[in-house]
Amino acid sequence: MGYLAYSVAGPTSVAGIVGLYLLLTGSGESFNVGRFLEESSPYLWAMTGIGLCIGLSVLGAAWGIFVTGASILGGGVRAPRIRTKNLIRCAGKVYSMVPILIKYNSIIFCEVVAIYGVIMSIVFSSKVVSIPETELYTASNYYTGFSLFWGGLTVGTCNLLCGVAVGIAGSTAAIGDAADPTLFVKILIIEVFASIMGLFGLIVGLLVSGKAQTFEGL
Amino acid sequence: MLVAIGAAYGTSKSGIGISGLGQFRPELVMKSLIPVVMSGIIAVYGLVVSVLIASGLAPDNDYSLYAGFIHLAAGLACGVTGLAAGYAIGIVGDSCVRAYLNESKVFVTMILILIFAEVLGLYGLIVALLLNVKASDEVSC
Repeated sequence: MGYLAYSVAGPTSVAGIVGLYLLLTGSGESFNVGRFLEESSPYLWAMTGIGLCIGLSVLGAAWGIFVTGASILGGGVRAPRIRTKNLIRCAGKVYSMVPILIKYNSIIFCEVVAIYGVIMSIVFSSKVVSIPETELYTASNYYTGFSLFWGGLTVGTCNLLCGVAVGIAGSTAAIGDAADPTLFVKILIIEVFASIMGLFGLIVGLLVSGKAQTFEGL
Repeated sequence: MLVAIGAAYGTSKSGIGISGLGQFRPELVMKSLIPVVMSGIIAVYGLVVSVLIASGLAPDNDYSLYAGFIHLAAGLACGVTGLAAGYAIGIVGDSCVRAYLNESKVFVTMILILIFAEVLGLYGLIVALLLNVKASDEVSC
């Protein structure tokens, strides 16, 4: 409860002090949102979007993996057979185990979320080209900058929450599986529903940035 | 061109509203998938609105401030209601499924409550669609 009070009161008081300063010294015109948007470089927006895309996606995947993994390890104490069914695997080392892949799904769904983030970051970063600053501020470049920012933010946040949801579903799958092995497949269906959220984020990110052209000079 | 921010925010917000579903966690020991399916439907609402808004954005057509704000409003409407509806479906689904374990007559009541929560997301979709229709009006702003 104390954290909430500090985190709300802190920025509010800073904003209030800055606002009062601008008001009382008659320089209120310098708070100009339009000028900020026009003068800030499109590179700022594009790069922040790409960074948030991969960062938040990986955060979601990691969160999901630790939630699921903790449950698997805990449940494995009482029912060791679920260890082999839900085994945590490192990236890319199970291509030889494709026939058994069905049983390893809990962690796979979480990693897929991180891979979505990587793919979208690569797609977005292909649109970023170095342009000299005098030629940078065109309408098309503004559009690209803003759309990469919001596309990246959308993909990142959707993957973050998707990872958390898949993690929670996977942990209940592991616990349910320890209690009764026939439940595993049924709870897997829920994980599929959870992972479609990340997919929707991917689709929206592609839509938003689809019409953005690469940065180009005049 | 500055207005592209507003519209992109609207698109992304309705997409983010999808993620509001991330709050649910039905704990099942039987096949009660209905809350899960309903949450997925809310995600589809958000996706539909995102597609509609994004189809109106392009770097080379004239993009008025009016259209930008309409897209922002549509996206926020759909996104925030989707967030609320998803959260409600999650909590209701969780507790109803637990009650269903003990008392199987609760099933019909659970469906009714879930439908009410789902309709909240539908309201957001309707408002977003209504707003979006106006976005292509000719206006000098």
